[in-house]
Amino acid sequence: MIINMADRLKDDTDLKLESLFRSQPVQDDGFSVKVVSRVRRRIWVRRLAMPVALTIGTLIAAKPLLQLASAIPKLLMIVPDSMSGLDNLPLSSLPQNTTVIFGAMLLFAVMMVGKMLED
Amino acid sequence: MNSAVDETSDHELVAKVVAQQDATAFGELVRRHQSQIRNFLRKLTRDTVLADDLAQDAFLHAWNKLHTYAGKGTFIGWLLKVAYTTFLQSKRKSSRYNEILEEAGHDADARSSRQTEESDEISDLDKFLAVLTNDERAVMILSYACGLSHREIGDAADLPIGTVKSVIFRSKEKIRESFDIDDHKYG
Repeated sequence: MIINMADRLKDDTDLKLESLFRSQPVQDDGFSVKVVSRVRRRIWVRRLAMPVALTIGTLIAAKPLLQLASAIPKLLMIVPDSMSGLDNLPLSSLPQNTTVIFGAMLLFAVMMVGKMLED
Repeated sequence: MNSAVDETSDHELVAKVVAQQDATAFGELVRRHQSQIRNFLRKLTRDTVLADDLAQDAFLHAWNKLHTYAGKGTFIGWLLKVAYTTFLQSKRKSSRYNEILEEAGHDADARSSRQTEESDEISDLDKFLAVLTNDERAVMILSYACGLSHREIGDAADLPIGTVKSVIFRSKEKIRESFDIDDHKYG
């Protein structure tokens, strides 16, 4: 450790001020226990936050999702055969390898950004 | 707390907290440094209850920000910086609160009733600190009460060393001009 001598040269006022500012050490008296219990509470809240949010989100979204799922067959029935027939689709309209790889990379990037934001 | 933990250095404990989210290791850091942090905040706020509340908040901020402590400088210097930032944030909030109270016609002096009994020496200190600005007060407390070097004060108060030296010089001048420092009794 480097000691700066300018810090060490004290005049009379310095000594008097030091004496005036000096105080007894503060007893812990359960202070650190209180802080640690607040920290532990925080850890638990952080751990529980995601699962609880996920559960609540699922509960809220469940009903509309079920309604949507039940509506899809009805929707498909009213779509004309010429539009819904996959047999007629040309091969070129299917996603290409580059598109699939690009999509996967995009998904990975989004997940990484999500994780960074969470951190 | 076992002796193995007692002998562990601050840096090792910090590494343990950051790597494993170890609340016990953090508790040891709190136990080691609570006295200095609480004394610093008690002198800054002149209110024991408020200072202890702020000290708890400061340690919680330290828990959240511990990964930003790069091991440069002493850990207590870094903790004092967190405590000083917590104090400034709370002061900003409370000044807004006092404005609202004044607007509502309340006497904002209610806090004085919370102040615990302090010795005559402390009231002398109050008078000295009253002539200083927030920054000057913090620098003087860090220097004379916490015994930090100019470099450590610079780190804690986010000031260049040159500024720290000039703040100390200016504060001493202010105290000399305002009081006959020899008239006061010293421990």
